Amino acid sequence: MFQLRSSGRYRPIKIGDIAIIIFFLSSLFFLPKVPGEKVEIRVDNSKEFIYPLSKDRTLDIKGAIGTTRIVIKDGRVKVTKAPCPLKLCKKVGWISKKGEQIICIPNKVYIRIEGEEYDGVTE
Amino acid sequence: MELQSKIAYISVFTAASISIFVVESYIPQPIPGIRLGLANIFILLTIIYFGFKEGFLVGILKSFMGSLLLGRLLSPSFLFSISGTIMSVIIMWLAIKFGKHISLLGISIIGAEIHTITQILLATILFFPEASFIYLLPIYVLSALVAGSITGTISYLLFTKLERKIEIA
Repeated sequence: MFQLRSSGRYRPIKIGDIAIIIFFLSSLFFLPKVPGEKVEIRVDNSKEFIYPLSKDRTLDIKGAIGTTRIVIKDGRVKVTKAPCPLKLCKKVGWISKKGEQIICIPNKVYIRIEGEEYDGVTE
Repeated sequence: MELQSKIAYISVFTAASISIFVVESYIPQPIPGIRLGLANIFILLTIIYFGFKEGFLVGILKSFMGSLLLGRLLSPSFLFSISGTIMSVIIMWLAIKFGKHISLLGISIIGAEIHTITQILLATILFFPEASFIYLLPIYVLSALVAGSITGTISYLLFTKLERKIEIA
């Protein structure tokens, strides 16, 4: 008969495991954000506009209930004027990274930043 | 334990980890380097049952023989495999020795994480100093967390089943 070196490891999960999991889960906050390249504006799910982020401009987009003013400046996008009652789209502020979006539901305006896929992975 | 049965167990564990390593390498990888690492189960069990030296041996043999069978011996992927394995064996042994509050799940996660991080650091330093591997580290860390949890759970189940069998032997 021999003695195993394994006594006391019968429990499936211990307090240290949870600490380890939380420690490595914290890398969620460091997930890479890919800078955007284009801004895609969709109105009422039908009209679609795509503008590059590199050029500064001000756009007046006619939506369902009024005009939404969208400003593109220094590679960032912001809504400055909105006809909707809550002005949620104005409160979002500047967006610039791939996947970020501003949605104005009453005016049916949908703004989304598009960018490249991750590079360096696909070799 | 008698020497013969120890040798027999270590050989079985080595053979199992090599075969899993080879079979697993045929599964397509969505992003290069993301895999389950099921061969780690047997390395972990060897360290727990027999100790550091034996686990180290199984790990080295797994990398060496597996790469030999796949025809990648001395290629960059062999280098990644063996360095990741060595580091993870060392870390898992330390976790078993000093981590009183860590069970198999945590040890497996630590092993998977160290394996991945070693490989990415090596890839960054040796081959692509300007590439964005460090930038992608969080993705690899998260995938290693998932893979480590899966292998840890399997190791735990296998451990509770094997323990009685090995004691009888």
